Amino acid sequence: MQVLLMTVPVLLPLAGGFFMLVMGTGREGAGKKQERNRLLFMEAVVLAASFSVWALILAGREGGREAVLFYLAGKDLKVFFRLDGAGCVFAGLVSFLWPFATLYASEYMEGEERQNSFFAFYTMAYGVTLGIAFAGNLVTLYLFYELLTLVTFPLVLHYRNRESRAASRKYLYYSIGGAAFAFMGLVFILIYGNTADFILGGVLNRGVPGFRVNTILFMYVLAFFGFGVKAALFPVHGWLPKASVAPTPVTALLHAVAVVKSGAFAILRLTYYSYGADFIRGTWAHYVVLAAVLVTIVYGSTMAVREAHLKRRLAYSTISNLSYVLFGVVMMNPLGMAAALVHMVFHALMKICAFFCAGAIMHKTEKNFVYELGGMGRQMPVTFACFTVAGLSLMGLPLFAGFISKWNLARSAVAAGGALGVTAVGVLLYSALMTGIYMLTVTVRALFPNEGEKTAALVGRTEPGWRMLAPTVLFAVLLVVFGVYSGPLVRFIMEVAEGVMV
Amino acid sequence: MSGNGMLLFLAAWPMTAALLSYIIGRFSKKSRDFFADGAVLLEFAVLLGLLLAGVLAWGGESGAASGFVVSEFCWEGFCGLGLHLELDGFRALYGLIAAFMWLMTTVFSREYLARYRNRNRYYLFVLLTLGATMGVFLAADLYTAFIFFEIMSFTSYAWVAHDEKEAAMRAAGTYLGVAVIGGMVTLMGLFLFYHVAGTLEFSELLPACRALWEEKQGTLYLAGGLTAFGFAAKAGVFPLHIWLPKAHPVAPAPASALLSGILTKTGIFGLLAVSCNVFRHDPFWGMAVFAFGMLTMFGGALLAVFSVDLKRTLACSSMSQIGFILVGIGMQGLLGEENALAVRGTFLHMVNHSLIKLVLFLAAGVVYMNLHQLNLNEIRGFGRKKPLLAFCFLMGALGIGGIPLWNGYVSKTLLHESIVEYGALAAEGLSVYGTAAFWKGAEWIFLVCGGMTVAYMTKLFVALFVERSPERQEEFDTKYGRYWSLESKLAVAVPALLLPLMGMLPGLVMDPAAELGAGFFGGGASARPVRYFSLENLSGGLVSIAIGALIYFGVIRTALMRKRADGVRVYVDRWPAWLDLENLMRGVGRGLLAVSAVLCRALDRILDGSVVFARKTTHRQLKEDKIQVSRNRLAYWTGCFLEWNSDLLNKTVRRKRPVEKAYVRRLMEFEEKTVRTNRIINESLSFALLLVCIGLIVVLLYLLWIR
Repeated sequence: MQVLLMTVPVLLPLAGGFFMLVMGTGREGAGKKQERNRLLFMEAVVLAASFSVWALILAGREGGREAVLFYLAGKDLKVFFRLDGAGCVFAGLVSFLWPFATLYASEYMEGEERQNSFFAFYTMAYGVTLGIAFAGNLVTLYLFYELLTLVTFPLVLHYRNRESRAASRKYLYYSIGGAAFAFMGLVFILIYGNTADFILGGVLNRGVPGFRVNTILFMYVLAFFGFGVKAALFPVHGWLPKASVAPTPVTALLHAVAVVKSGAFAILRLTYYSYGADFIRGTWAHYVVLAAVLVTIVYGSTMAVREAHLKRRLAYSTISNLSYVLFGVVMMNPLGMAAALVHMVFHALMKICAFFCAGAIMHKTEKNFVYELGGMGRQMPVTFACFTVAGLSLMGLPLFAGFISKWNLARSAVAAGGALGVTAVGVLLYSALMTGIYMLTVTVRALFPNEGEKTAALVGRTEPGWRMLAPTVLFAVLLVVFGVYSGPLVRFIMEVAEGVMV
Repeated sequence: MSGNGMLLFLAAWPMTAALLSYIIGRFSKKSRDFFADGAVLLEFAVLLGLLLAGVLAWGGESGAASGFVVSEFCWEGFCGLGLHLELDGFRALYGLIAAFMWLMTTVFSREYLARYRNRNRYYLFVLLTLGATMGVFLAADLYTAFIFFEIMSFTSYAWVAHDEKEAAMRAAGTYLGVAVIGGMVTLMGLFLFYHVAGTLEFSELLPACRALWEEKQGTLYLAGGLTAFGFAAKAGVFPLHIWLPKAHPVAPAPASALLSGILTKTGIFGLLAVSCNVFRHDPFWGMAVFAFGMLTMFGGALLAVFSVDLKRTLACSSMSQIGFILVGIGMQGLLGEENALAVRGTFLHMVNHSLIKLVLFLAAGVVYMNLHQLNLNEIRGFGRKKPLLAFCFLMGALGIGGIPLWNGYVSKTLLHESIVEYGALAAEGLSVYGTAAFWKGAEWIFLVCGGMTVAYMTKLFVALFVERSPERQEEFDTKYGRYWSLESKLAVAVPALLLPLMGMLPGLVMDPAAELGAGFFGGGASARPVRYFSLENLSGGLVSIAIGALIYFGVIRTALMRKRADGVRVYVDRWPAWLDLENLMRGVGRGLLAVSAVLCRALDRILDGSVVFARKTTHRQLKEDKIQVSRNRLAYWTGCFLEWNSDLLNKTVRRKRPVEKAYVRRLMEFEEKTVRTNRIINESLSFALLLVCIGLIVVLLYLLWIR
């Protein structure tokens, strides 16, 4: 039963999305009734998938049952699902966010063209992301990782204008190119590992003839950067700011959570479950990836300060924050892995909240740039309150969730010790400062307008409808709740990272 | 959660009340004002009750320095590491002072803010900040202190920015910037402490650090320095003071009083937490704090002497007085076990400065709410024929000037004595740092700073209450007959009366208070009672007054005043603009940001640039690739054929309902569209596939040859 249940969350959204594609062809109109029916159908599919994920998580994972989909070649190359601790965290996160994001999207996209195909791919992406979370070995992960590129590509292309065409092309180049590198890493795990399954501590077998440490390390670095494409790692980050031309629900859910976190999650799997942190720690490969991560953090937060376009600013912030997650990963200790998972969860909440606010602003007022926001706080008080919460949390202020993850990240860095730790902590400090600048300037401009900008305040309230507002407020509230009380979640993740819990 | 829940109430109630007052304010402004008064009054009453309960429960056992029963509160798991509050004599007393100041300023705000906008927001943040400030003062570990400290930094931002004028926004920006940087650096210090010592509890830090002292001295100093950074920034320690002279004056006067009087003290509290727990009796740390104290004390006094703006002078004076307090903290470390004088001096000067600045800033607020001006040349003469205002201001001025019989004298004397004491040790060769001459010099700088305090306070008092306005004196005397309400009078006069009371009865008021607070500082056993009014001690105060008179008549009345064309002498600001550190630091920050942004943009181009380079060189597209859509004959011929057919049809079968014939155009458009789309897909897919192939080939080659 459980085995069967495991395939439901992955296959159901895929089937649902496919169904919408087939049924919806030729009916691209935007009638009210049609929109409502579509929303009901989508929510039903998404919620069913989410509930089965939660049922799986709550049912416990004793015995480590596997749901084998099919065999590629022989008994070794199988595609199968297995839910372990890290997978639980990612799947739980995604399955919590998706229903709300769908609700938000349904209002945001109202009256737009090509809604049907948009929502079809939007729903399909859910199934694929869950597939990445459930993947039991590197082969399965790789398969769904490639699939995710194909499913999300039409979403970036949605508006079909010059900008979005260029963005989607870039997205495709980068993703498929990166996957090629990742593939090399996969092949080497297949050859030099006992198995391709995910086992905490790594699966490399030094006994295999021809095992050369440096070659394997090189392959690790290649795969790291390959998967790093989706995690927007420098220097392969270029697609992410460009991709912010997509509709906001896509930028919010996919380019702040699902897609980019899949990249980070894949790297986490690669590092801790395939190659093994002990194998990499202290080698040149460790320093290479660490340097890339640190550079990305600095780069992302600096560019975010210089960027005046609100959504692109948030995209740069995402680049920097994804590397926070990777920062935890490359600390190569259990504390670091736990910190990475914690930040993965909390950053998802913060960034989706911030993007939802930005989307609400764009949707209601057509304003895209930070300097246009003077005095908007009076026009959209709830939205800006949520944005402020997200901003403060991103800065890592106590009482907000971001502080918990930053605390854990810095602890792992200090635990790693030496010059490495000091540099890492210094980078965190710099980035926190930059985060303060790029998030708070928005808040300050909106809530404390300059003298000349008071006119904007007189327009009256233009808050979005409940379908957009409710998820935003919910996430903001959660940020505070987790900021104040995060004990159980952090404990759970810590146990996963230390291998106490499978 | 365990322990005395009242402690949590002290921090949480104002925050709850803040939200309630905001909601009430949406419906009725009047009831909101009363509710805010009531909320602060309740806070004050609860603290007073706790203080009395603590003192009475002590029962008079002798021995330890503190006469107070300590109570604690713990909330495990809050914000990760947990919340830990504690109430001892020092915290109770200082919390009480904070609550008292909030009470007075809140009462005063009603009239002051009567014609302001956004009052609801103001009250919200005032009450939030009260809760956060209480949290800082009650904190029993660095973590709790930091959490509340950060909340306080951000909620008080709204005070500085309240006016929303350009100067206010700029000052608020600097305030926020310094607060953010400071907070983050402090956080790094906490990480280090937590990593090295394994705890952040005040009570456990001292033994933990003593145990590590031999091997990890450097790390501990680093951690201490980082932790102290943020707190020092809030306290306005040189050179992190850049925000202070700008931010305090632009806030509404009641908020300025709180910023100067209490919020700077939260910084001092953090410094004390580090100095008195981790580095208790450590001479090196003491010397460092002492040096910064000296710089801050002198720098602030210098800025204040030059300033020609009422509130700015008071703000700079705050900075200078913070320097005095730092000198006290430094002397605690230097004197080691024998630091009772320094401990009392530090604590009492904190108390005194808070109360004095309350009076002075509120008095300045009275001036501002009537005239909306702060420049000394504009407001001079306003205070003539206003005896109550003059009295209140005078009490504050005498208090802070360290005039015997007023409270400032007591604490300054104690601080002065502690320097003299260390000087005596140095003369005997028992000091760790400095010779006898060095400490004599330090003593003189201390006295000169005291003299400068006297000088700038005289400058303010003379300008406001003695001199006549050249233009508007008539208006000042007649028009502002009812220049403040009864509430405001009470709010200013009550604390003003406290100052001489404390100064005249030091043995009755000041010494017991100091005794109560000494436990927190881990000070030595209580020293011999100081005879404040002995000739020896009085002479120090008198020297300061003499220096003050010299500076006032020698510098302020001559060099800092100028005769205008019509013969009236006016105050001029002679502080050179290039010495404005704020602009300098802003410029440096901007420059760094610009440089790093340029670097980042350059990095941005690396990957795309290399792809473009490849496309231009090795992977150049062939010329034939560019399909000339318009020259494609197929669509044309097919179109022609179809058109010919439909012509035929139109002439024969469908003569009545002719078929439209635009096949050529439509087909060619379709063709063009298809070709274009194909090309885009081809380009993207082909490039991506190329990369895939390269990867596969590399793997294949490897498998074939190397393995």
